[in-house]
Amino acid sequence: MKILVIEDEPALLESILAYFTGEGNICEHAADFASANEKISLYNYDCILLDLGLPGGEGLELLTKLKQLKKRDGVLIISARHSLDDKLAGLDLGADDYLVKPFHLSELKARVTAIIRRKNFDGNNVIVFNEITVDVSAMKVTVKGNLISLTKKEFDLLVYFLSNRNKVVTKNAMAEHLWGDEMDLSDDFDFIYTHVKNLRKKLLEAGAADYLRSVYGIGYKFGDI
Amino acid sequence: MKLSNRYNRVNILTSIVVLIITGIIYYVVIHFILTEKLDRDLAVEENEINQYINTFHKLPLPASYLDQQIAYKNIKGITPEREFLYTTYYNPKEQENEPGRSLITVVHVNGKAIEVTITKSRVESEDLVRIILLITIGITLLLLLSLLLINRFVLNRLWRPFYSILNRMKAFEVTRMDNIENEPTKIDEFNELNKSVNAMAEKVRQDYKELKSFTDNASHEMMTPLAVINSKLDSLLQTESFTAQQGALLEDIYHATGRLSRLHQSLLLLAKIENNLIPDLQTIELKEMLEAKGRQFQELLEKDGLVLQENLTPVEIKMSRYLADILLNNLFSNALRHNVTGGHIHITLNKEALTISNSGKTVNLQTKIFDRFSKSVESEGMGLGLAITKQICNLYGFRIDYQELDGNHVFTVYFGA
Repeated sequence: MKILVIEDEPALLESILAYFTGEGNICEHAADFASANEKISLYNYDCILLDLGLPGGEGLELLTKLKQLKKRDGVLIISARHSLDDKLAGLDLGADDYLVKPFHLSELKARVTAIIRRKNFDGNNVIVFNEITVDVSAMKVTVKGNLISLTKKEFDLLVYFLSNRNKVVTKNAMAEHLWGDEMDLSDDFDFIYTHVKNLRKKLLEAGAADYLRSVYGIGYKFGDI
Repeated sequence: MKLSNRYNRVNILTSIVVLIITGIIYYVVIHFILTEKLDRDLAVEENEINQYINTFHKLPLPASYLDQQIAYKNIKGITPEREFLYTTYYNPKEQENEPGRSLITVVHVNGKAIEVTITKSRVESEDLVRIILLITIGITLLLLLSLLLINRFVLNRLWRPFYSILNRMKAFEVTRMDNIENEPTKIDEFNELNKSVNAMAEKVRQDYKELKSFTDNASHEMMTPLAVINSKLDSLLQTESFTAQQGALLEDIYHATGRLSRLHQSLLLLAKIENNLIPDLQTIELKEMLEAKGRQFQELLEKDGLVLQENLTPVEIKMSRYLADILLNNLFSNALRHNVTGGHIHITLNKEALTISNSGKTVNLQTKIFDRFSKSVESEGMGLGLAITKQICNLYGFRIDYQELDGNHVFTVYFGA
C-alpha cells in the first residue's frame, strides 16, 4: 500500500516511516503544508496520515483540497489537539478516522490498515494470513477452511495482530485498543494475558501454526515463525 | 446588621429624643404663657376691686361666677404678702372641685385691712395644654411612622441596585464569559461600584484566559514530545535484542509515558469541561449505555471475580455522548478499582438518580474525594477521575454524592440538581 505521512515533527515522522515501511508498503512524507499540497495534487495514495498543525497552513485545508480534487484517498488525522470540534470538523470534511497524539504505532497501523481495507475491498473485507482467513465485515474466522468461533474481544485482538504482523505489540496498546483509552484503567494489563491465551489456544486447536509469541513480558508478536 | 437598619436605629432614636425634648419645652412654655394670662386677668380683677373701693369706700359684693370667685376675709394679726398660687376651688355648677389660680391681696376699706382672694378656673388652660400635648404626641408618632415607611420602601428601592450588583458578583464565575450587567441607576456611587466591579471581573477574566491559554499551549506542546517518546519506544521494541532485564526497564518506561499521557488528557479534558467547550448535546439512553458499559467491563469484572447487579429503568437525559461515556467510565472503573476480590457492584437507575455502589475496604474517605489529585494511599489512579466526574455533573446541573453504607461505597448522581 502507498502511504503519505504529513507530519512536521521529524522524530515522530521517522518513527512512523520506520514502522510502516516494509511488507511491500511505500511510504512518502511531507513536513510542511506546501510540499504536502503538491504531493496530494500529483499522486494518489491509499492512505494519508495528516497532522493538523502544519508549518505554512492548516491541515484541514488539505482535506478540503482533496475533496475538490475528487480523490478517494483514505485520510487519518493525527493531531495533538484533543478537541471534539476538530474531530467532528475533520470527519465532516471527509477524513476516515482521527487519532490523538500520543498514540501507539501499532494502533496507528491498525487504523490505517482498516481504512485501506474498507477503501479497497468495498464490502468484501477479508484478511488472509497463511492458513488463517478473517472476514472482517462478517466477523468470521476460518483456519484451513474450518470456521472457528471467537469472542468479540478475541476477534478484535486477532485483527489487531494481523494489522501489526511481525511487530511487537505492547499489552498497553492492546488494552487501549480493546477497551478504549478513556477508560482510565489501572496500569496492570495482565488480564490481557487471558484473552491472548484463549485466542492462541483456539487457533492452535483449529490447526493453525503457533504464530504468537510473548516478548519480554511487555507484549506479544504475531507473525511468521 | 444592615446599613439601613443601623441608620434607621440612629435616625429613629434621635428623632424620638428630639421630639420628646421639643414636647417638654412646648409644654413648659405654653403652660407658662397661659399662667401669665391668668395672672394678668386676676390682676385686672384686683384693679377693678381697688377702683370700686376708691369710688364707693366699700367692698363689692362677693360674687361667684362660673369661672371666677371672690372672697373676703378680715385680717387678724400679720398682713399676708400679695401672691399668686395654684388652688382648687369648688365649682357649684359642675359640683366638683376644679383646679384654679388664685390671687391673694390685701385692700384697705375705711382703714380696715381685708384679705381678698380672687380665684379663676384653670380648667380651660389645662385642656388647652392637654390638647397641645396630644397633638405633639400625634405628630411625633406620625413622623416616626413616616420615617419607618420611608426606610422600608424608599431606602429599599434606593439600595436595590446595590443588592443586584452584589447578587451578580456572587453568581460570577470566572469560567463563564458573561458580564456583570448594569442595573440602571441614577446614583453615582452605585454606578461607580458597578464600573469597578466590571473592571475587576474583566481583569480576572483576562488573567484567567491568559493562564488557560498558557496551560492549553503548554499541554499541546507537551503532547508532541510525548508522542515522540511513545513512537520511539514502539520503534525500539521492534529491534528485538533485549535481555529480560532490559525488557522490564522498557515496560516501566511504557507505564510512565502511558500515565503521563493519560494525566495530560485528563487535565485537558477538565479544562475543556470547565470552559464548557463540549457542546454536542444530545439525548442519551442511559440504560442502554450502562448495559454496554457492563459488557465493556466484563473481562475486568471476571478478572477480580466481581458480581455485577443491574436494576435499570429506561432513562433519557440530555448531555454530550462523549461526556456521558467518560462519566460512566469513571464511575465504573472507580467501582472496580476500589473493590475487593469476589466483591460486588450494584447499579440502580431510575428517573431521579443513578446509583453505583460497590463493596470495598472500609476506609475513612475524606470529603475531598472529588478534589483533584486526592486519592487514597493504595489507589493506582491519578486522582482525577472523580474530579472529572464531578465537573461533568456540575456542567449539566446534576448533583453527585458519596457515602459509605454498611461497608459499601455508594456514589449517587441525582439528575435533577
